[in-house]
Amino acid sequence: MKILNQPIKVMAIFHPDGKIQPIRFRLDEEAVTVEKIIKSYEEKLVGNKRVVFVCLHNGKDIYELKYEIDSSIWFLFKK
Amino acid sequence: MSDIIMHVDVNSAFLSWTAAYEQQIGFERDIREVASVIGGNEENRHGIVLSKSMKAKQYGIKTGNSLMEARQMCPNLLVVPPNYQVYVRASKALLEFLNTFSPDVEIFSIDECFMRFTDINREQSIKLAYSIKEQVKQIFGYTVNIGVSTNKLLAKMAGDFEKPDKCHTCFPEELKEKMWPLPVEDLFMVGRRTQPKLNRLGIYTIGDLANADFNLISTLLKSHGRLIYAYAHGHDVSTFKPPAPIKSVGNSSTLKFDVENAEKAHTIILSLVEMTAWRLREAGMVCRVVSVSIKDSNFAYISHQKKLPYFTDCTNDIYKNICSLFDRVWDKKSIRQMGVSVSDLEDAKFQQLSIFKDRNSLNNETLDKVIDKIREKYGDTAIIRGVFANRDLQPLLGGYPDDEYPGMSNIL
Repeated sequence: MKILNQPIKVMAIFHPDGKIQPIRFRLDEEAVTVEKIIKSYEEKLVGNKRVVFVCLHNGKDIYELKYEIDSSIWFLFKK
Repeated sequence: MSDIIMHVDVNSAFLSWTAAYEQQIGFERDIREVASVIGGNEENRHGIVLSKSMKAKQYGIKTGNSLMEARQMCPNLLVVPPNYQVYVRASKALLEFLNTFSPDVEIFSIDECFMRFTDINREQSIKLAYSIKEQVKQIFGYTVNIGVSTNKLLAKMAGDFEKPDKCHTCFPEELKEKMWPLPVEDLFMVGRRTQPKLNRLGIYTIGDLANADFNLISTLLKSHGRLIYAYAHGHDVSTFKPPAPIKSVGNSSTLKFDVENAEKAHTIILSLVEMTAWRLREAGMVCRVVSVSIKDSNFAYISHQKKLPYFTDCTNDIYKNICSLFDRVWDKKSIRQMGVSVSDLEDAKFQQLSIFKDRNSLNNETLDKVIDKIREKYGDTAIIRGVFANRDLQPLLGGYPDDEYPGMSNIL
């Protein structure tokens, strides 16, 4: 797993109950569909809030998406 | 049951915050693990050590050293620039978190605060301190020191006993054992000026001071002597202040070059006042005391203040008064650092009208409001004073988060 922290384009559903669900994102001109979110939690390192999504790809590869609340930017954190 | 006071202090705050932030944005390095410092920009003459890692401390690097000195002590030192947005956010988040434990949290500086608990015994408080420390580490990713005692002074002394990532107590009965053996310069409010004076009297530890003759200390060091004598005995009468309304607003800056003529100095005062007056109006306050401070190239420091016959928040009024103060106090030596500040603040909502104000004051106040709105909408430098056009001087100087080291207030 490599740490990237790369800002990316993401399609996500913002549910009425406040839950966020990423659906698809773009990485190097290629659209990747989020197959499964294993878990999500909020991290508050140094007070900077980010919602972390640990996701599964191809049934085995794990990667992390992070949504930064203050800046409203999505990051592909680890792949 | 008496109150329990905790002092929470972030270990090498700027460095820890930078390190935790770097981890969040995916840096593989951890600057806490190597000899590193947070240092300002040397080109702009802000090249001092703001914060150091434990490894750097082992080389003898101290906060406030110049970066050049630091590099001489440790040749492969890693210097990381500060990021004040991160620090302010970290500080606010910590405060918010601590507020969930007690409504009484008093901010002491950007990285330190006091908490008061009223209905808790000592064992519980120690347990709580440990739990707060661990939670901060887990949630925010950096370590804190917590000192537990019955007043603010002892709590602060306890927090400084041993770092990092520790909880200490210093209750009045532990005073002799824990605080008295320490060197006298470790006592709060004993600095580099007082230490030699005390050493000359044969006072080297806090215990020496506590056992010294009160009259001697009092005669020699006046009120400050009486204060530190009381501190050495663990007596501290300071009360717990709720989040107080601001008492003063000020800005200062170390200049890129030494200033030698009055005209240029006035221009720099104007740029500082622009910022200060803006912040004053933003806070919805008016001021009655204005002051100026000057540090010359030999690091000698002078300051001067003046009470106005009226309250004002007008940039022009403040600027004119500070300039006249400056002209009175400046000894024509080249200036390294300048600062302005305003105090004796009042709510701007209700004001006594004054006949002493400049005739144009009312017009200028309206003008200020318009300028503020333009700056808010289009950026700080959307509209600037003519004197700054085509010049190397910044139209607004200083600010918050400031480019200066946010100092600690010296009153508990």
